[in-house]
Amino acid sequence: MSEGSTISGTRTTVREHEGDLVVESAEVVAEDVVVLTLVDPDGDSLPPWTPGAHVDLILTEDLIRQYSLCGDPSDSRTIRVAVLRSPDSRGGSALVHDRLRTGATVRVRGPRNHFPLIASPRYIFIGGGIGITPILPMIAEAEASRADWQLYYGGRSRASMAFLDELTRYGDRVTLVPQDELGLLDLTTILGDPRADTLVYCCGPEPLLAAVEERCATDWPVAALHLERFAAKVSQAPAGGERSFELVLAGSGLTLTVPPDKSVFQVIEEAGVSVLGSCHEGICGTCEQVVLDGEVDHRDSVLSESERAANDAMMVCVSRCSSDRLTLDL
Amino acid sequence: MQPTPVPLDQVDLADLDVFEGNRAWGMFDTLRREAPVHWNEEHDGGSGFWSITRYDDIQAVDKDPESFTSMKFTNLEEPPEEFQDTRRSILETDGPRHQALRKLLMRDFSAAQLRRYEDFLRGLAKATVDNALQQEEFDFVDSIAADYPMAVLVRLLDTPPEKTPQLISWGNEIVGFSDPEYARVLVNSEEAKAYRHLPFSSPVSQEIYDYGRQLRAERLGGTADDLVSKLVNRIPEDGIPLSDQDFDNYFLLLVVAGNETTRQAMSHSMKALIDNPEQLTWFLEHPEKAQVAVEELIRWASPVYHFRRTATRDVELHGRQIKEGDKVVMWFASGNRDESKFADPYTLDLSRFPNDHITFGKGPHTCMGANLARLEIKILFETLLPRLESIEQAGEITRVRSNFVNGIKKFPVRVRAKQV
Repeated sequence: MSEGSTISGTRTTVREHEGDLVVESAEVVAEDVVVLTLVDPDGDSLPPWTPGAHVDLILTEDLIRQYSLCGDPSDSRTIRVAVLRSPDSRGGSALVHDRLRTGATVRVRGPRNHFPLIASPRYIFIGGGIGITPILPMIAEAEASRADWQLYYGGRSRASMAFLDELTRYGDRVTLVPQDELGLLDLTTILGDPRADTLVYCCGPEPLLAAVEERCATDWPVAALHLERFAAKVSQAPAGGERSFELVLAGSGLTLTVPPDKSVFQVIEEAGVSVLGSCHEGICGTCEQVVLDGEVDHRDSVLSESERAANDAMMVCVSRCSSDRLTLDL
Repeated sequence: MQPTPVPLDQVDLADLDVFEGNRAWGMFDTLRREAPVHWNEEHDGGSGFWSITRYDDIQAVDKDPESFTSMKFTNLEEPPEEFQDTRRSILETDGPRHQALRKLLMRDFSAAQLRRYEDFLRGLAKATVDNALQQEEFDFVDSIAADYPMAVLVRLLDTPPEKTPQLISWGNEIVGFSDPEYARVLVNSEEAKAYRHLPFSSPVSQEIYDYGRQLRAERLGGTADDLVSKLVNRIPEDGIPLSDQDFDNYFLLLVVAGNETTRQAMSHSMKALIDNPEQLTWFLEHPEKAQVAVEELIRWASPVYHFRRTATRDVELHGRQIKEGDKVVMWFASGNRDESKFADPYTLDLSRFPNDHITFGKGPHTCMGANLARLEIKILFETLLPRLESIEQAGEITRVRSNFVNGIKKFPVRVRAKQV
């Protein structure tokens, strides 16, 4: 793979792996689920990754989709992704299913990891449907590190659940819950024993994530729960694209407009108001501003859930506003 | 002033004479133009390093910890594998643990949080300036730049005032690890081998550890809002408490990083304002633009020459093959003089805006104290400059012998204070 790519649209330049990979095999492993095994066309090693990592498949110029890696991190020759043909697909998964046959070429960017597995003596893994994909390498690592772990894997039916054969080797650490036989995952029982030495990892459809979040919010330690939302994090723009909103800088007496294609930071700076930033990715914390009014749409990695909920501060390099007007003490 | 370009075959950024003589700038210029990824041998047993000197490249490296890790340490020194974990602070940690540890205190350094120190800082700056201006000639470093940031740190850590001189001398010794005037034990010397288990291979690190442990014992379980109390009583978001070593190295970092670099930025800023009197006048005439002006002073000062990363994989950059394991040095000071990013980079222009300098780094390891440094520098010059009828340099400047910290040791000035 060649190195070097620029993600435009922000002032950020990230050098990531990007290159064309070849589909070595495309195998249907469950209803509507295809597993792609990708290799470098020249047989070169692929970049290293850790459980929880994902790649971008650049299907067309403006059709970029994130898929978790579900193979073996120690295998540097291949990477593997599993793709569900989504009925409400905006075209990404259908294109993967229809076009990416054995021998096809696809542009791949990454890997990167926003869902890393933190070392812990005990884990509870919860996978819903195709959300099993990032969990697969995680349980392999948990097993290798001799952690005490359980996986609860729910799906519509056995036929729709991928990787059942690969999971048999883990014996009773894995509990399969096909909905047509056993109903929904029983989160009350699964999460019924909050423990300080246990981390919870969950990936799946939004209703499952919301239910797990709600369970964990009451009696689990704050840092115990780790979630991955499909298509979240990397591209957090709402489905209809970004919207514009009014920006009031109370201290400067300015009323500005933040258009869809600019950050709050950019708009402030273009207005000639000095605002300090550094990473422009929502991680360094430098550009935090005091929020006086407006509903912040937080997209940073700095604030905790409770700090977000307080709605009194935001990282203006990435976060936006979900109400019509945002007022900052600036 | 534009430095004299140095021919490529004479560029050597491992030669500390170059930095002591303030001659690195001409080398940076040559590298940016002719060899943006340049291999530099080391003469003290180090394995050599790649110099990255263009702004965009520095930023790309700093933002890509998966390819350019901090886990193999971040100065030129290569600590033995067996001591890396005992010496590891957040500077040398990547990934979720880094973010969890960083977040313990990150928001305490946000601009909004720091506002509550503003009155304190104004009082402190006034006292410092009052004291210095009792004389017509004094050393700017000793009388102003050294004491003031340290006093701020003492306030944030809430250590007793009588400990201040000790903290200053610790800071000097640690950051001046390659300068014989500062360091009792020079890094990479024979003697330092006995201390390779300690940060900067310095025996002073142990003294700082010991003092930190004492403070921790006193404050564990308390509810005070000083940084030490917060550090010992908060749980990182990954749920893994601070180990003894985590705490030791975090505390050491606060003591060292919190004062030395700010001091250097102030000294360089004062020197720049003396050399550019029309800019000093501009500062006084545009008090509402002080924050903008401070950004230019910080760009100009570039108190940290570099941080280092290590390649985790083979990378080709500008046609050069960086191999896995190679040291990759981001020369922040050079990025701040990159003509493709800053028009007339060797001109001090306090009205420069926007000014996205790279003094504090970019990416996950961006300086956590950046907003504090900015505030300290702003308040110092807002306090000092209106009090001066005139200020001039009154003798030779001497520099720290280091390619890590761009430091001034001696900076004699002569002043005429306004009559109040």
